[in-house]
Amino acid sequence: MSKPSDLVQGTLDLLLLKILALEPLNGYAVSLRLKQVSGDVLQVSDGSLYPALHKLEQEGWITAEWKPTENNRRAKFYSLTRLGKKQLEKESANWSRLSAAISNIVKLKEA
Amino acid sequence: MRPEHWFYTLPLRLRSLFQRNQVEQELGEELQYHLELKTKEYVASGMPIEEARRRARREIGGIEQSKEICRDTRRVSYIQDLLQDLGFGLRMLRNSPAFALVAILTLALGIGANTAMFSVVQGVLLAPLQYFQPDRLVMVWENNPRFPRVWVSYPNFRDWQRSAHSFQQMAGGMDQGVDLTGPGAPEHINGKQISAGFFGTLGVKLLLGREFSFEEDRQGGTAVAIISDRLWRSRFDGSLEALGKSVTLNGVDYIVVGVVSSGFNFGQQHADVYTALGRSDPLILNDRAAHGGIFSIARLQPGETLARSQAEMNTIQNGLDQLYPDANRDLGIYIEPLKQVVVGDAGKVLLLLLGAVGFVLLICCANVANLLLARSAARAREFAVRSALGASRAQMARQLLTESVLLSLAGAVLGLLIAVFGVKSVLAAVPESLPRNENVGVNASVLLFTLGASIAVGILFGLAPALKSWNADPQGSLKEGGRGSTGTHHRAQSGLVIVQMALTLVLLVGAGQLFQTIQRLWDVNPGFDTQHLITFKVGVSHSLTKTASSTRIAYQQLIERIRQIPGVQAADFTDTVPLSGQGGTMPFWIGSQKPASLQGAPRLAMFLTGPDFLRTMGIPLLRGRFFTSEDTTKSPCVMVIDSVFAHNYFSDRDPLDQTLSAGFSPVGPCRIVGVVGHVKQWALDDSSTYIQNLAYFPLYQDPDQWVPLNYPYTTIVVRTSLDAATVMPSVKKAVYVGGSDQPVYNIRTMQQIVSESMSSQRFPLILLGAFAGLALLLASIGIYGVISYSVTQRVHEIGIRMALGAEKEDVFRMVVGHGLRLAFAGLAIGTAVALILTRMLPSFSRLLYGVGASDPTTFVTISVVLTAAAVLACYIPARRATRVDPIVALRYE
Repeated sequence: MSKPSDLVQGTLDLLLLKILALEPLNGYAVSLRLKQVSGDVLQVSDGSLYPALHKLEQEGWITAEWKPTENNRRAKFYSLTRLGKKQLEKESANWSRLSAAISNIVKLKEA
Repeated sequence: MRPEHWFYTLPLRLRSLFQRNQVEQELGEELQYHLELKTKEYVASGMPIEEARRRARREIGGIEQSKEICRDTRRVSYIQDLLQDLGFGLRMLRNSPAFALVAILTLALGIGANTAMFSVVQGVLLAPLQYFQPDRLVMVWENNPRFPRVWVSYPNFRDWQRSAHSFQQMAGGMDQGVDLTGPGAPEHINGKQISAGFFGTLGVKLLLGREFSFEEDRQGGTAVAIISDRLWRSRFDGSLEALGKSVTLNGVDYIVVGVVSSGFNFGQQHADVYTALGRSDPLILNDRAAHGGIFSIARLQPGETLARSQAEMNTIQNGLDQLYPDANRDLGIYIEPLKQVVVGDAGKVLLLLLGAVGFVLLICCANVANLLLARSAARAREFAVRSALGASRAQMARQLLTESVLLSLAGAVLGLLIAVFGVKSVLAAVPESLPRNENVGVNASVLLFTLGASIAVGILFGLAPALKSWNADPQGSLKEGGRGSTGTHHRAQSGLVIVQMALTLVLLVGAGQLFQTIQRLWDVNPGFDTQHLITFKVGVSHSLTKTASSTRIAYQQLIERIRQIPGVQAADFTDTVPLSGQGGTMPFWIGSQKPASLQGAPRLAMFLTGPDFLRTMGIPLLRGRFFTSEDTTKSPCVMVIDSVFAHNYFSDRDPLDQTLSAGFSPVGPCRIVGVVGHVKQWALDDSSTYIQNLAYFPLYQDPDQWVPLNYPYTTIVVRTSLDAATVMPSVKKAVYVGGSDQPVYNIRTMQQIVSESMSSQRFPLILLGAFAGLALLLASIGIYGVISYSVTQRVHEIGIRMALGAEKEDVFRMVVGHGLRLAFAGLAIGTAVALILTRMLPSFSRLLYGVGASDPTTFVTISVVLTAAAVLACYIPARRATRVDPIVALRYE
């Protein structure tokens, strides 16, 4: 299996926001979903996951809630806020612009 | 977007700050949960549980590191670190209470003195005047080629009111003392005659009642008055029924129509009653050439500037000059911001004193910095360990600065108490010479200043040890016999002590020069005998002064009764007491040629006196005669001039029998019948800007129409060998013979008047002297501290010296010599700075008299004093050094 590529700088925020836009999840579930949905191409190391989630929380883009799980445990579930939705739109637009530009350059015919 | 953003994030940030532990715990829980799920996943894919767990843990990375990163992203670490530093700092200070106490006390003195001084500066100079939009208010003077400011002529003022467009409103006023005879006991009070709209121009609301109307502000208008809060409470019990009742002023009843609130003040005199300017004496009101004491204020139209209003008024005045050439020729207008008029010259001296007290604060900082340096040498090991454990230099420096600011704030709290007490004593010292002193107090802006100053000061003296720690070599400190940083400390400490000495010298020189000035002023001969002279005023009953002749008789009888008192050698009236700040000038001409422009004519200062004035004051008669009882309104008018006048205008001929006329509404021509000795009328230091031509005119020859204006204005001077307490009761009895409703007031001895004439030097001297004394004390402590510390550090070296044969005297001399070297360096620098400053500060050198700014005696004396102080400060440490036992010293490595 090819090594999962490292994530481009700054896109982690975009991905996390999008995943949480689909449904509220806890941290572990987010990283699992990311791996699944990208077909194992993208994955985030656990050491970077929680700092990233914390940052999103500090910025006010996601909010957290403790929900009980099985075994009488509780887990922290993150969901997108209204601000976060706006930020997601902004970052999606940026990403489209960026990826389109890169594609254009890569598609240039070589001499 | 931003405020919304905060709405979401603020609760979170606050939580991170205040519920740290819980937040940390939650993070830990979250990571733990993740760990378990990961482990489960690996177990499900077939891994043995132990390996699964290990792998999961490895993938999560350092949990602690994760936590740390999360913590950092919480972006509240600054505040947390600060709190941590504060806590640590407090503990350190508690561990060394002696050091903390000394430092805090020193800082309290410095910050307290500065706060007190700043309160004065703030109240007098910085705070805006207490009227509505005070920066729009101006004072409108007239002026002529000789004087930049001249009292306003009433007809001119009325014309301005009609034509001026750059002013929203104009009003006029005149200070006039009145005798209040009812309700209640007779009292002479300060009054102001104001035009309608005076309070409106200032934008001040009355506590009760209303302003004067235009009908009331003219001759024949109803006699109405507005009274002060003080008068309202003392005479009417503060009752609301006061409106409509009347007060009796100068024998006339005035109906009270308004009360002014207690905080209101305008000008130097705190007026107790206000009457209409338009009802004043017609002699002043109708004469366009009369400039008798009326001032005018105005409020600029919104958007109008002072320059434009000056231009407009110039045009208006030019027009008036054309219409009324006799009265107005050469008369101009000068407009000045009201604040400038109120504050006057006081501002410059206050700023000077603020600078001086700033020096004291610097000296305090130097002392505390030295203390900190000494302590930081002891803490070198602690910092070395911290830096080895990973603390950055910035962190350690921040820790030190936090401690310093903590000390400083503690000192500020104590200093505030000192300041409150200090301000009270300052105000008690010289209350009158300071304008707006009712405004001075420890208020919000002063507190803000104290806070800012103490933080700045804390950072300033905290820099010394912080910088030292920056450059410290941790290796050296960790070694056992670590003595690495002592050498550099030494230089810094010595430098600070030298600076202290220099600053102290500057302050002492300033105080010394002021002190000498006052001594010289006391030595000046004012031209009359100041001893055994008492002055006072009498409010002669208005039943006696209905006509001019009855007034003269009443006054003559009064003075005769006073002369009869046993112990009174001589007594008479004068309208001007020299050196009391009274007196006005008027144009004059010799012979019969009246000059075309009175405004441009030469000036003299006129004394209106009774015939016995010369003898009472002890002024020498040089030629001819003074007045006698024969000089009355029925005999030709006479005048007497002084020696300076004679020298200036009669150097080539005999002044006697020449004629002199004087005044805007002139008196004369009168025959000059005598020449008397010159008298220092304006000030002992004889500022050459004032008119020195003095002339005397007999009181009893004053024309009838001027009697009601001039006679009540007179002061009685009495020569008696008895002191005031003994003779005044008899004086009062003599006065009351003419009527018991005649207040006797303004009782002062001539010595008191002379002393008060020096108040512009006395006030700064008292403060500067206090600051200099404080500085000397602190600098001495500074030297003591540094030398003492140096002896402790050099015990080893002293031991070696003594072992090698040095005697006790040699050690003593070495230590004292060290201290003296520091002192001399400070003296040299201080002398240079003092020479530059005293020359460069005209506001200081203007105060001096008889003492040059670079007068050597002062410098030499002060240097000797400082050297003695330094030697004294070194004495104890030097003694300690001599008692070092070389064997003990050598044993301690």
